[in-house]
Amino acid sequence: MTAPDPSTPDTAADAPRPAPHTPAPPGARHGAPPADTPPPGAPGPDGVRAPSAAAGNGLPRTSPGDPAPRTAPGAATRTAAPAATPAALWRRGRGFLICLGILLVAAVTLAALASGSRHGRLDPRSADPDGSRAVAELLQARGVTTRVVTTAREAAAAAGPDTTLLVTNPDLLGESQLRAIRSAIDLSGGRTVLLAPGSPSLPDLAPAARTKGTALDQDLDPGCALPAAVSAGRAGTGGEHRYTTDGATGTACYPSGGHPTLLVLPTGTTGGDTVLLGSETILLNRKLASEGNASLALQLLGSRPDLVWYLPSLADAQDEDPAQEQSFLDLLPHGWSWAFLQLFVAAALAALWRARRLGPLVTEKLPVAIRASETTEGRARLYRKAGARDRAATVLRAAARERLAALVGVPPAQAHDPAALLPAVSGRLTERQQDLTALLFGTTPATDAALVALADHLDALEREVRTS
Amino acid sequence: MALTGRAALLAALGSLPVGILEPSWTGMLAVNGALGLACAVDYALAAPVRSLIFTRSGDTSVRLGEPAEVHLTVANPGARPLRARIRDAWPPSSWLPGTETGASRHTLAIPAGERRRITTRLLPTRRGDRRADRVTVRSYGPLGLLTRQGTHTVPWTVRVLPPFTSRKHLPSRLARLRELDGRTSVLTRGEGTEFDSLRDYVPGDDTRSIDWRATARRHKVAVRTWRPERDRHILICLDTGRTSAGRVGDAPRLDSAMDAALLLAALASRAGDRVDLLAHDRRTRAQVQGRAAGDVLPAFVNAMATLEPELVETDARSLVSTILRNAPRRSLVVLLTGLDAAPTEEGLLPLLPLLTQRHTVLLASVADPRVEEMTRSRGTLDAVYEAAAGTQSQASRRRTADQLSRHGVHVVDATPDTLAPALADAYLSLKSAGRL
Repeated sequence: MTAPDPSTPDTAADAPRPAPHTPAPPGARHGAPPADTPPPGAPGPDGVRAPSAAAGNGLPRTSPGDPAPRTAPGAATRTAAPAATPAALWRRGRGFLICLGILLVAAVTLAALASGSRHGRLDPRSADPDGSRAVAELLQARGVTTRVVTTAREAAAAAGPDTTLLVTNPDLLGESQLRAIRSAIDLSGGRTVLLAPGSPSLPDLAPAARTKGTALDQDLDPGCALPAAVSAGRAGTGGEHRYTTDGATGTACYPSGGHPTLLVLPTGTTGGDTVLLGSETILLNRKLASEGNASLALQLLGSRPDLVWYLPSLADAQDEDPAQEQSFLDLLPHGWSWAFLQLFVAAALAALWRARRLGPLVTEKLPVAIRASETTEGRARLYRKAGARDRAATVLRAAARERLAALVGVPPAQAHDPAALLPAVSGRLTERQQDLTALLFGTTPATDAALVALADHLDALEREVRTS
Repeated sequence: MALTGRAALLAALGSLPVGILEPSWTGMLAVNGALGLACAVDYALAAPVRSLIFTRSGDTSVRLGEPAEVHLTVANPGARPLRARIRDAWPPSSWLPGTETGASRHTLAIPAGERRRITTRLLPTRRGDRRADRVTVRSYGPLGLLTRQGTHTVPWTVRVLPPFTSRKHLPSRLARLRELDGRTSVLTRGEGTEFDSLRDYVPGDDTRSIDWRATARRHKVAVRTWRPERDRHILICLDTGRTSAGRVGDAPRLDSAMDAALLLAALASRAGDRVDLLAHDRRTRAQVQGRAAGDVLPAFVNAMATLEPELVETDARSLVSTILRNAPRRSLVVLLTGLDAAPTEEGLLPLLPLLTQRHTVLLASVADPRVEEMTRSRGTLDAVYEAAAGTQSQASRRRTADQLSRHGVHVVDATPDTLAPALADAYLSLKSAGRL
């Protein structure tokens, strides 16, 4: 026998749930389960645990469950799921896959259709027909550096006496962005060009100007003394907004029906000005070459050495003032908070409805549920834990000898006597002459594999004797 | 008093008028006040629960595994019609798990002054007495908003008897009994046989059974025939100690032992023997004595119905003394107990001579098929250790059985499904050998 490490402290823990008050017997710690007595630490010879008398006999039963003898775990789960073959998986999953495919195709198609010509509109980096890369390139060739910003805060920070601030879509700006741009206009002293500002942004950015209808013609004549307009000549500033001013401070150009589509307003005391351009057409790549568009654009944007190109973006929205944020409840009409209160009342009533049982629970004493084979299984685990190959081999050999003795007609009393049993058994064997002595009376198997093989060989021998 | 879902739903719908028409305390008060008033009216109009009168009838005993019907008659003496939901509560093991709720609930309407009968079907899952718990009534008003609820205690007991599944073996054993019995007289004579009749000698008869005196009278050779003696005493003794609590398969050992005892009792009472029952661990749990042949089986079943394994060590000394007290003359003592080495060797074995000197002792024990299965497991190391452990415990049982046999005890060790017929066969072979 291989002596297990005596320092192993948990040898006794392998006994089948020992009784709590039973001290771990010394035999268990030596790892040698005795042959004739039940495994040490086991509750009793029949697997009945005395301490469960209190737990099992006195507990009231509060759940409608069954006393349920312990069954093999996993017995139910093993039969629940049918075998998943690839064909079955494909049958089950193909509907889902087809749906997914349709969804993907639809998404790609929609995206392709919806992207349209608005993509990159007025972006100085875009070479699309509606982009503005041509202007930016021309400006760069004339020594004007263009910087693209996407938030009002950046735009305001970049603005200065030597910069031109171009706001591409002022009507999209929120309240806080408008404030930032307004302060930039007031304080920078540079030029601010507003592209097609409408009534939402004009009161904030250029209080002196108002929109006045739509310019019907696309290309208009300068009709003023502004040098840039004069040198550019006819240009495409029409088609969108026309403006009017309260005072006579600004320069009004390119009139359509008496109202200008280009307005230059002096701002503040620092010498800056604000240019209101009725249409963004002159900056687009596809229109830049027609009429005097390019000349007008270059002169309006190139008057300062730096150009800040402000493209409003979604990132801008995050700069919103947190005080402006409204919670979900603020958005609801006032009366609905009362309706919610009433719903709470309803929820309380529903809770009362569900909480009231139809009579109290019925209690019942449960019988104990202990498998009779528990001790034997515990003994098997003890053998395993202790590596008791010698014990197991002895037991298996003895049982095989007794059965063989009955088969070959040797009296049971002589079953364990080699001199009586071996000749009788070998007389029944025909083909092979294996080492019967080693098999039936041999030594302890040296390895676990040898023990497993021993059991199989004993079975084979018995089968052979039985069929001979 | 209990609310209904309808009241909660109305309160939820009330949030619409509150939110749209009158978002204030006034609106809340108007909606909830109206709801409360409706509830109060509904409560007042519901039939009272306390004045209902209940009576029970129906089955009082049932075999385990068979359904029992218990009727509950509800009389409504009041002036208002009763619309109610009734729960007839029984302990959980009165029904299959999962069906309790459906089986115990009843909906019924009783006009004023009339009565109705509802039937609760029980399908008990364990032996023993099932006592009816409370009957709870929830009485609904015309609006179904607020209900009256109350409970009544209407006692009733259904005794769940052992199933006696082994009765299928009875006809074949009775046929063998008839072969032994006087109708086909046996020619072998033994201790437990008695003189039956004289008949002519035919070649092949045992010459020792020739009755010379009768031969002299009749001028023909006459032989005596013998038949097994009747009116013998059999004491079946159930051990209800801790070893009987272990479950073999799905049932405790005690249940298998009861099944075997019932088959033996049925057989022996037909054979004309007197059968008594004793259930004992540290004290006597049940006893049946001196019943007439037709009454034995019902008495046994009734006595066994409430027996449960006790988690105590059986006191062999008190068991033996009780047996001796209950078997004053020569008897067959059938011990249904365990074959475990330690309790048998320390408890029963030293006291056996007291029993065997006067009585024939037959010991029957329930073997575990799981252990048998373990001895055949092979292939892995765990399996081989299991096989070794199983073989070990089988060998120890066999050794105990051999020790008992040496004391003159007949031992029957069989799995639950074969124990009852094996015990009956052992009885028949003892009877045919005249050793009762």
